[in-house]
Amino acid sequence: MTNFRRWLPALLLAIPGTAVAQGVIVAPHAVFIDHATRAGSITLYNPGEEPVEVTVSFGFGFPTTDSSGSISIELSDTAPAGEPGATAWLQAFPRRVTIGQQKRQTIRILASPPANLPDGEYWARLTVSAKGGKVPVAGVPDSGGISVGLSLEVRTVISVMYRKGALTTGVTLAPVSASYAGDSVAVRIPLARTGTAVYLGTARASVTSEGGEIKGQDERAVAVYHSLDPRIDVPVGALAPGKYKVRVTVSTDRSDLPPKAALTAPTVRDSVEFTVR
Amino acid sequence: MAALLWHAPLSAQGRPLVPTGTQNLGFGNVIPGLSTQVLRSDPVGSGQFTLRGEKNAQVQLLFVLPASMSGPLGATIPLTFGASDGGFSAAEVITSQTVFDPRAPALGRLSNNGRASVFLGGTANPGPAQRSGSYTGTITLTVSYTGL
Repeated sequence: MTNFRRWLPALLLAIPGTAVAQGVIVAPHAVFIDHATRAGSITLYNPGEEPVEVTVSFGFGFPTTDSSGSISIELSDTAPAGEPGATAWLQAFPRRVTIGQQKRQTIRILASPPANLPDGEYWARLTVSAKGGKVPVAGVPDSGGISVGLSLEVRTVISVMYRKGALTTGVTLAPVSASYAGDSVAVRIPLARTGTAVYLGTARASVTSEGGEIKGQDERAVAVYHSLDPRIDVPVGALAPGKYKVRVTVSTDRSDLPPKAALTAPTVRDSVEFTVR
Repeated sequence: MAALLWHAPLSAQGRPLVPTGTQNLGFGNVIPGLSTQVLRSDPVGSGQFTLRGEKNAQVQLLFVLPASMSGPLGATIPLTFGASDGGFSAAEVITSQTVFDPRAPALGRLSNNGRASVFLGGTANPGPAQRSGSYTGTITLTVSYTGL
């Protein structure tokens, strides 16, 4: 049984029965297009009870971190100069479609890259906008009255990666740092990508006492396009005075992606100690 | 359902991220010249979304918030959103929200069941001579996984 078959029934049951802005299910949640085929597809499914008007568009963006380690993805219409953008030569068919209740629609993605495109990986973001039927404003104004209400629209953004030639990836891990505050340990994991493709992996952090007892652990999916310095807040509760060790591993283990989508690379590790007084 | 599953792409993995708007942000009937605020914790008036996706996944939330609502004959009502008008709840409980500023990108983490709710409040500011009628606008929520 594929993962798709396993999660879809549960996901459908989890989606509310009533919605004023029904999002569509977009699968897969990342698209990988090979230069040999120059084509890909996504499947949209409307689980709601009303038709949904869907618009598909391409943009550019990738995860970055700020000084506090928070990740954000800044979206733009086109790729900045120097970035390997695929936005300009990707097209979706159809770009606009109405999907009936509990119906599905395949969106084809076709690539028309330049003839002299060098080997490498090229990036884009695909936005699926879903708009339901006209939503009535709550409350009907009396004569001379004013009623106001805001309807909702939802958009889902997924990544698109176009790959040409043999690609490699990896990361280097600068010394990690850790600070204990409140009931968690904030762990910073400075990563810099190597190779020619995005590093898709999982960062794991654990906190152990001097006696080897695990006080807390957590993990986060990471996508390193150039560099990333994420913060993972490991919940540990109240720590007694003493020495503790934070261990970090970053590997290309990604259970949410199809095989070979996350290119393999050696696992990197680091650790750091801190003292609670 | 059976047909859907039969034709599902075999290469698909992981849970897609699915946002759904479940309740409009509603101010009801307002009085000219009097600002009306709806709190994100208001179970009836707040805008509400649900998220479904990969368990424990971190997601980015990005709102597009209108500066005003449009009404009859081109009339508008200004809207304002404050730094504490956004709320995120992995437990999907309106009384247990983590506050965020909806005017800037925000992060949330889905529960270990891959679920969460997002709440939104705001303030409508009708003028003293506000034209009567219905006023509407659209709030857009864009979501994406941060790990891809």
